[in-house]
Amino acid sequence: MSGALAASGAAPPRRRAGGFAVGAALVLVTLGFGVLAPLVVAGDPFTQSLTKALGGPDAAAPFGYDHLGRSLFHRLAHALRLSPAIAAAAVATAGAAGLLLGGLAAARGGWVDRALTLVADALLALPGLLLVLIVLAIMPGTALGFWAGLSLVLWVEFFRLTRATSRAVLASPAVEASRLLGFGPLYVLRRHLWPEIAPVMLTAAAFGAATAIMAIAALGFVSVGMRAPTPELGLMMVELLPYWREAPFALLTPVIATFTLLLGLILMAGDRAR
Amino acid sequence: MTLLQADDVAVFDASGRALVHPVSLRLDAGAPLVVLGETGSGKSLLAQALMGTLPPELWARGRVRIAEAEHDAAQPQGFRRLWGRAVAVLPQEPWLSLDPLMRARAQVAEAHALVRGLAPVAARRAAAADLAALGLGDEAGRRYPHELSGGMAQRVAFAAARAGGARIVVADEPTKGLDAARRDEVARLLTRALETGGGLLAITHDLALAQLLGGRLIVMREGAVVESGPLAEIFAAPQADYTQKLLDADPARWPRRARRAAGPSVVEGRRLTVSRGGRALVEGLDLTLRAGEIVGVSGPSGCGKSSLGDALLGLHAPACGAVRRIEGVARTAFQKLYQDPVSAFPRRRALGATLADVARRFGRRRAEVEALLARLDLAPALLARRPEQVSGGELQRLALLRVMLAEPRFLFADEPTSRLDPITQRGVIDLIATLAEEGCSVLLVSHDAALLDRTADWRMALGGHGTAEAAGRAAPAVALGAAG
Amino acid sequence: MPLLSRALQALAVALLVGVSTFAMMRALPGDAAWRIAAGRYGYDNVDAAAAASVRAELGLDGPALPALLQWLGDLFRLDFGVSLVSGQPVAAELAHQLGASLQLALAAVALSLLIGPPLGVAAGLRPGGALDRALLVAATAFRATPQFLLALVLIVLVSVELGWLPAAGHGAARHVILPSLALALGLAATSARIARDATTEIAATAFWRFAEFKGLSRGQVLWRHGLRNVAVPLLTLLGLQFVTLVEGVVVVETIFGWPGIGHALVHAIFARDVPVVQGAALMLGLGFVAVNAAIDIALRRIDPRGAA
Repeated sequence: MSGALAASGAAPPRRRAGGFAVGAALVLVTLGFGVLAPLVVAGDPFTQSLTKALGGPDAAAPFGYDHLGRSLFHRLAHALRLSPAIAAAAVATAGAAGLLLGGLAAARGGWVDRALTLVADALLALPGLLLVLIVLAIMPGTALGFWAGLSLVLWVEFFRLTRATSRAVLASPAVEASRLLGFGPLYVLRRHLWPEIAPVMLTAAAFGAATAIMAIAALGFVSVGMRAPTPELGLMMVELLPYWREAPFALLTPVIATFTLLLGLILMAGDRAR
Repeated sequence: MTLLQADDVAVFDASGRALVHPVSLRLDAGAPLVVLGETGSGKSLLAQALMGTLPPELWARGRVRIAEAEHDAAQPQGFRRLWGRAVAVLPQEPWLSLDPLMRARAQVAEAHALVRGLAPVAARRAAAADLAALGLGDEAGRRYPHELSGGMAQRVAFAAARAGGARIVVADEPTKGLDAARRDEVARLLTRALETGGGLLAITHDLALAQLLGGRLIVMREGAVVESGPLAEIFAAPQADYTQKLLDADPARWPRRARRAAGPSVVEGRRLTVSRGGRALVEGLDLTLRAGEIVGVSGPSGCGKSSLGDALLGLHAPACGAVRRIEGVARTAFQKLYQDPVSAFPRRRALGATLADVARRFGRRRAEVEALLARLDLAPALLARRPEQVSGGELQRLALLRVMLAEPRFLFADEPTSRLDPITQRGVIDLIATLAEEGCSVLLVSHDAALLDRTADWRMALGGHGTAEAAGRAAPAVALGAAG
Repeated sequence: MPLLSRALQALAVALLVGVSTFAMMRALPGDAAWRIAAGRYGYDNVDAAAAASVRAELGLDGPALPALLQWLGDLFRLDFGVSLVSGQPVAAELAHQLGASLQLALAAVALSLLIGPPLGVAAGLRPGGALDRALLVAATAFRATPQFLLALVLIVLVSVELGWLPAAGHGAARHVILPSLALALGLAATSARIARDATTEIAATAFWRFAEFKGLSRGQVLWRHGLRNVAVPLLTLLGLQFVTLVEGVVVVETIFGWPGIGHALVHAIFARDVPVVQGAALMLGLGFVAVNAAIDIALRRIDPRGAA
């Protein structure tokens, strides 16, 4: 009877669950293509044959050829392994760091908390793409640079979520009651903290992966990310853009793949601001 | 004069199941009508059907006559223009019902301006007059809701609800979570509505409020009327068994708990000073809590009742003084019951799993847990559910069961029944009393003076600092009063 | 108190920018001094002496710590030095480009606020209705579309295929439409969702219900009690969106050839023009802090509870 006069309008949890399933399916399909495609049709993403430039599909290249006569099918498959792999590595690193530091900040409080929060706030104020660009300029190797830069950008969100959730849980009567009953920190972690943090982390991981893939593609598109001839989603688009009139499908291939992958991840992340 | 008449009003859910069976009632000018019932009795749904405010997934049937016009309960949109103009609806929790971003007087004035059509200046003047009549000056009118005390917010909401000129006042659970003093204040406020020939429909589970209001009474249970008639007559000689049970659940009617010889000291506080946020709430308190004894603690909210209990449990470090607990007893023998049991269990874990953890921790066998379930009148099926899926009374008893697995020697019960219905409340308090009889020392916090009077061996009133605290040095906050 | 924490944040941002650009400077490839000298004096005029003087000037040799302190000292004295490429003072270059970026950013924010919140509020008033569902689909699609992809689609459709608007250029009003739209749609997708959620939440509050019970019409309740309350989370979001906006500006300016700070930044990174990168990063970071400090103050005026 709480709020009897103001009832109704509860959040519909089913829509979220449905969105997650659809999103996971989309992500699986795109990643599955990246992994399985080269096994189904043998081929190579780098071999050029200029006579076939912008040519239509054939048995060796089911999606046709790009402006240098390379198989789009194999380039796309390569691209769909590359950015997700970097994104996954960055999310894993950032997630671990964020969980650890967020938990530390919540449990210890005091100056540890204040210092970590200050670092996170400073990173929050700077555009992620800019930080990634700076790290790319420092690190040798583009893939390594992306991993390091994206990890640096992404851990902040995991940190903030872990810290906020942990603080709320640790201050709750439920934890107090468990402590009064003589349960130790391990029990509090397993039965109180982790069940609250895990779903939040899953959401943040999907969102973080989307952010990472967007960043890699965006920097590829403006020619400061992955270098040619590496097949990368954004780079493929900018390479094929001048041939839009002659070969619209060639440009649409990476566009559709990128959108499907990102849509899947956003659906998995669900309704979240930013 | 009849202000409101309802004929055969019934409420159904989407599947067509009746939640409220047909009820007819009449509200006369100058005479309150009280609908009394517990959670789930359908009393609020009935009120919502009469005002056209049912949630969209429910629907109603029947005829309602308000202000000389007939309305069909099945067509809730027709009621809307009555709000503020014919019917004033008082909110359950006024401090949540005022716009947090608007000053108090503006929230009253807007009803004068937009509903009655007064010019802005006249509306402001009318609002100021309304508030002044309720003892709220200009300064209070300029405050934002978060700067108002609970009682002030209640009065602002009362003025705002009635500013549109409505003669009928509908109040749904107006005393939810209030202590006795505040409850009396609300009762006085509500009776004001009657002075000028208005009508009052009060929906409540609060027996004391019902008694203060008087008038006519309807008792509801499981969507049906159990009994109706003049309130004084029903309170004096109820006809239905259920009404009798409900009345008996009023702490004022409880038999006084038999005093027993107290055992040895379990927890002691010596020159204890407890503070929160740098403010001393309890200063220089000496107290001894003995085995088998229930000590009642009362006092206004924020006076340090909870902090004192937490200090005795060792959850909150006292600013000064010492807490001594009986030696040779495990720390887990010092336990706590929470006001909101839902927040005291892991949110996403089945209750049975949590209890199994505790049983294992204390080496209790499954059969012992089952025996306790039976003793606390809890269905084993509840164990498969999560905390928010069981009723407040059941969950509080499960919390008690969890505490009992730890074989407590001291229990701090922090308003354990303030969110429960009267009959359920009595059951939980009885169980706590049994625990005391078995030798546990209990510190029971409640805002219900009658409850403490009937239950506690002795009582302690913690006083608020009032205005003295602003001056710096506070007077001793504790008035030790042996009662009983 | 909140302003103090903003000041601390600004300090931390400056430190972060300083340290990271110093690392960037140190990581310049071996012939950096040659390249920089070449950028300044032209390839024909570079000799070992010129390269050595550049090396000494930038502290490319020698121990790291004193060089870092020197570097940070310059930063905190707001001495950003000169561009390694053009030899012009960084501050003057950035000031010149800032105007164009502000123009684009403000147009984008205005556009997003015209599109997002009104749709969100309308959808939030009828949760589960046709508009709400359509908005959910559209907002999800736009949030899954990176700004560069949106820019690409706009260029291909509106500019190349339909020939309505120019894809590149700067000066006339029509040049700003496509780039600002590419930025605005993504921002609007988020602000629409926030406005929608805030509206449903507020429409379910006890104070909304009570305002209706006082006799106010739905429109009056929305106007007097709804919008002000919705504005609180929206303003907070606006502050956070500053970062998204800046990222978008960097990408979109490059794509549309807009002569702003983002464009300059990408070029500077490409050319390893560290002083320009440092100046731009610092300006963007401090811009975020300043915008959010202003929003903090605005929020305290709207919401006296001192939330946010």
